[in-house]
Amino acid sequence: MLEVKNLHVKLAEEDKPILNGLSLSVPKGEVHAMMGPNGSGKSTLAYVLAGRSGYEVTEGDILWEGESILGLEPDERAARGVFLAFQYPMEIPGVSTLVFLRTAMNALRKKRGEKELNTAEFMRLLRERAGRLGIDVEMLKRPVNVGFSGGEKKRAEVLQMALLEPSLCVLDETDSGLDIDAVRIVADGVNALRSKGRAMLLITHYQRLLNYIVPDRVHVLAGGRIQKSGDKELAIELEKSGYAEFQSKAA
Amino acid sequence: MNVAVQKTKAERAIGEHFATVNGRLVEAAWAKSLRSDAFAHFQAFGLPHRRIEQWKYTDLRERLKEAFPPPLHAAGAPASWRQDVERALGPLAAIEAYRLVFLDGSFSAILSDVEPLLQWAEFVTLAQALRGDGARVRERLVTRGLDAAGAVRALNLAFMSDGAALTVRPGARVDRPVMLVFARVADTPAAITTRNIVTVGSGAELSLIEVHVALPGASPGGQENAATDLLLQRGANVRHVKCLPAGADGVHLSNTDAELGEGSFLRAFQMTLSGALVRNQLAIAFKGKGAKLDTSGAMLAAGSQHFDTTLFVDHEAPGGISRELYKSVLEGRARAVFQGKIIVHPGAQKTDGKQMAQGLMLSPEAEFDSKPELEIYADDVACGHGSTCAEIDPDLVFYCRSRGISEKEARALLVRSFIAEAVDKVEEEPVREALMALAEGWLQQRTT
Repeated sequence: MLEVKNLHVKLAEEDKPILNGLSLSVPKGEVHAMMGPNGSGKSTLAYVLAGRSGYEVTEGDILWEGESILGLEPDERAARGVFLAFQYPMEIPGVSTLVFLRTAMNALRKKRGEKELNTAEFMRLLRERAGRLGIDVEMLKRPVNVGFSGGEKKRAEVLQMALLEPSLCVLDETDSGLDIDAVRIVADGVNALRSKGRAMLLITHYQRLLNYIVPDRVHVLAGGRIQKSGDKELAIELEKSGYAEFQSKAA
Repeated sequence: MNVAVQKTKAERAIGEHFATVNGRLVEAAWAKSLRSDAFAHFQAFGLPHRRIEQWKYTDLRERLKEAFPPPLHAAGAPASWRQDVERALGPLAAIEAYRLVFLDGSFSAILSDVEPLLQWAEFVTLAQALRGDGARVRERLVTRGLDAAGAVRALNLAFMSDGAALTVRPGARVDRPVMLVFARVADTPAAITTRNIVTVGSGAELSLIEVHVALPGASPGGQENAATDLLLQRGANVRHVKCLPAGADGVHLSNTDAELGEGSFLRAFQMTLSGALVRNQLAIAFKGKGAKLDTSGAMLAAGSQHFDTTLFVDHEAPGGISRELYKSVLEGRARAVFQGKIIVHPGAQKTDGKQMAQGLMLSPEAEFDSKPELEIYADDVACGHGSTCAEIDPDLVFYCRSRGISEKEARALLVRSFIAEAVDKVEEEPVREALMALAEGWLQQRTT
């Protein structure tokens, strides 16, 4: 279970709080959606969960499986099963996607005390997972995300998720920049990963993705904290009424 | 006006060494006279210093505190030294190539593979040519045009001991790379001067690898003045890779001069991983129309190493394409210099020239100097240049770490990928792999 307890976060170099007492619980086996107006701090939450530097937690805690992860480095959190699918996946020229994926996989397996995969084993696993997402393995010989369209980048993030098998998946605006077909493919990939042992947090501005990845719970983030929570109907209401009701709280 | 400048200790030593060397040489009169002429040129100007524009970042007069004597012996090597050469070559030893090995600047027939080469090329050693009438080499060995900036060239002519004079016949395709191995052997520091003249006939193909190493037991210091002339005739296709792998220390000053005939293609790559002070100077002249140059390099420097790559690309003929990509990775207090001059002569219309120099700084005390110079006298050309200097991108490090890759490994991955972009320009896979293995070795030794 992911427990965010009264989290207060600001940028290290500034005073203004971005997250202002955010509390949230996402049990394993559930998919929660986090929605909110632009600038509400959704991506900040994603980054803080993943352990990106530049943010300061002034109050509160983040517990994963009962243990605080705030003191952990990003690769240590990854070893504990945390995965962030980036809103803007990074391009790494010169590093082939295959090499990157294998390095990441084996780094995690090593940390978990599992046996590292040799090339043949890795390629077998990769072909299978990539095939399900409609990703051509040839494309993965290219450097990470270089020359990938927006949709391809997002699909590549989901492929990483499928390979690394995290237990906490945080997807930051996974549907942004995608057309309907791409959204469907990404959604299928995410849905295929839903399981009892996995908690998922979908951060999204639009309701559309939630037609395909039906959430167990929906939260509205505004003013740095959760203003309202509900079931999937809440997302549909928001689609109709917009975030106006919550904007005043964001001021 | 010749200003009489106080000679430095090194300059005086060079003078003494020249007197000794010249007395010993058994050569044709024209060769001896050439040397004296060249040395006189050197004496007139001395070592180049910072007020000479192209030596601005690499002031030899200040940096060269001493000048070592040329090696004493003409090394005759026992065949067991073949193993030493293998060791010194490291990953480069795996490349299947015809080797021409020079020990302390003297050709070693026993360690070389000349026979198989003869089906495509003529080969004589420079030493042989200097004893004879100088066919194939003489027209390249000239003092014409040597000025204050040309001191290293003048010294090369004055002191050259040996080298490869290789002429690939028209239409020939040498089936393996030719690897010129220049190995330091003596256990006391010496100054080795070599000169290669490689002519590739029309429509012929050659892959040339030049490596400068120190054999186990050789003195860590030393000085090297190396020059290679690459003459590409019409339609010739040449790949030239020059490598200073780790393990050799000291001063390395080199000149690579290329002339590109019509429709010819030169793909050049220089990788520098060792040396206290290295200058790779390349001058490429587009003599015939429609020729192409793609030159790139990687300078990996640490400690207080100083690596200087200075390019002169001379578009004399029209329709030429030139591309330059140079990457430097610097840690400690190391310094890398990139100077890239592109000249487009009037009449060199439809020239297409691009230059990119990038520095990756791994420490706050490292320094990267990048100086582009474009002199364009034609009006229908496309020329551009760019330069970047940055630290490892922390967002990329975070991305890697969020996937479970440790910080150290993430940084290594990113530095490796930075270097790989330049190494990827090398066409032959075994050569590329060997070069990346050298880079990997350098990365493993890094402190940051």
